[in-house]
Amino acid sequence: MCLAIPGKVLEIQQDAHGVRMGKTNFGGVVKQVCLEYTPDVQCGDYVLVHVGFALGKVDEAEANRTYEALKAMEQLGELQTPEFETDPMAGKGT
Amino acid sequence: MKFLDEYRDQQLAEKLVGEISRTVTRPWVLMEVCGGQTHSIVKYGLDHLLPKEVELVHGPGCPVCVTSLEMIDKALAIAARPEAIFCSFGDMLRVPGSEVDLLILKSRGADIRVVYSPMDCLKIARANPDKKVVFFAIGFETTAPANAMAVWQARQQGIRNFSILVSHVLVPPSIASILQSPLNRVQGFLGPGHVCAIMGYREYEPIAARFRVPIVITGFEPLDLLEGTLMAVRQLEQGRAEVENQYSRIVHRVGNRVAQELVNKVFEVCDRKWRGVGSIPKSGYKLRWEFREHDAERLFDVKEIDTKEPEACISGLVLKGVKKPHDCPAFGKQCTPDHPLGATMVSAEGACAAYYAYGRHLQQQPKPESALATAR
Repeated sequence: MCLAIPGKVLEIQQDAHGVRMGKTNFGGVVKQVCLEYTPDVQCGDYVLVHVGFALGKVDEAEANRTYEALKAMEQLGELQTPEFETDPMAGKGT
Repeated sequence: MKFLDEYRDQQLAEKLVGEISRTVTRPWVLMEVCGGQTHSIVKYGLDHLLPKEVELVHGPGCPVCVTSLEMIDKALAIAARPEAIFCSFGDMLRVPGSEVDLLILKSRGADIRVVYSPMDCLKIARANPDKKVVFFAIGFETTAPANAMAVWQARQQGIRNFSILVSHVLVPPSIASILQSPLNRVQGFLGPGHVCAIMGYREYEPIAARFRVPIVITGFEPLDLLEGTLMAVRQLEQGRAEVENQYSRIVHRVGNRVAQELVNKVFEVCDRKWRGVGSIPKSGYKLRWEFREHDAERLFDVKEIDTKEPEACISGLVLKGVKKPHDCPAFGKQCTPDHPLGATMVSAEGACAAYYAYGRHLQQQPKPESALATAR
């Protein structure tokens, strides 16, 4: 129900009633999205969309930072526990 | 898709599981709050990847599941009226009321329509001026801005034949209620990422402090859920009880103030009854008095209705994290997605439906395999 999907805003315009809308691309599927709650969003930004509304902007710098931190942990993990490479299920529950 | 695929990387997931295994020294029970998180966890088999010390129990964050039977019966009473066009998100149509569900009413000729967004109802209302268009406004804080905007725009545009049947629920009072229960087993939470995209996470800070529980605001993809689990386990092992934000690419501490402002203009906090759980004080939204002409409960004058819950259903205990779906004798037998006894079997985000969809009714032992490899 709280499902929300990231999409790239391609075009911004107001509809006939003055509501700020954006044509948004979700991996090839393009839909109109209400941008009233994201006044700072511009074309090219990624927004997180739920029931036709952008909830907020996806922070690309933060997304990259998190992902890079996870990648860095990967290297750290390899240094610490080489045995995990051979049996990723060791020590797991049933 | 960008911002989705990279968070489904199997190798990184395994590394995170390894890090959780190295961190954990004793058993911990964590609850993921949101039904979307439950669905991802079961779909990707994340709970089976975790070390046996870390148990995930499934929370109340499925609005379809927790909408009270009274409210479903009110929806059915309104939808049966000849002057009504009743609009809803698709997954509400099969939620069992006391006697029938919305899909059965539709098959009997009621004008019931599935919409993607509440804003679609404004178009329907404009096109059908002689009808009363009603939207079933369910959902958590994530959905409230959309419903608030539909009501706000109806007023701005003078659309008087549009109303909403409000059954909004709020996360923080529900997790406080779980923590106060004598049956509670939950020691830490994976907080609801999309709810917090709107609301921020300031209101979780007093809960973490009062009940001494870590709350990690967490996303919905496998790596999000595993990282959130790692952060919560680290806190528990270190004796900390703080609110942390795993989902920083979306969530900020203050949330989306523009959305909060309109939600507060249109709605006010009220007590709300949760299916299977009971009434929780200040755990819902209702329309403010100024918007009463868009309040379907008032317009249709639906009275309190006598309701009947199936006795076999334990969905209330499942929603509180006390029981798992396969603890129910009816699970996968009398109760299936085709013949649901309770709402947790109806919505794709209900724990029972998720367990059924991924074959867990067929398994004696959990299946120790992740679906991550085939995620793309």
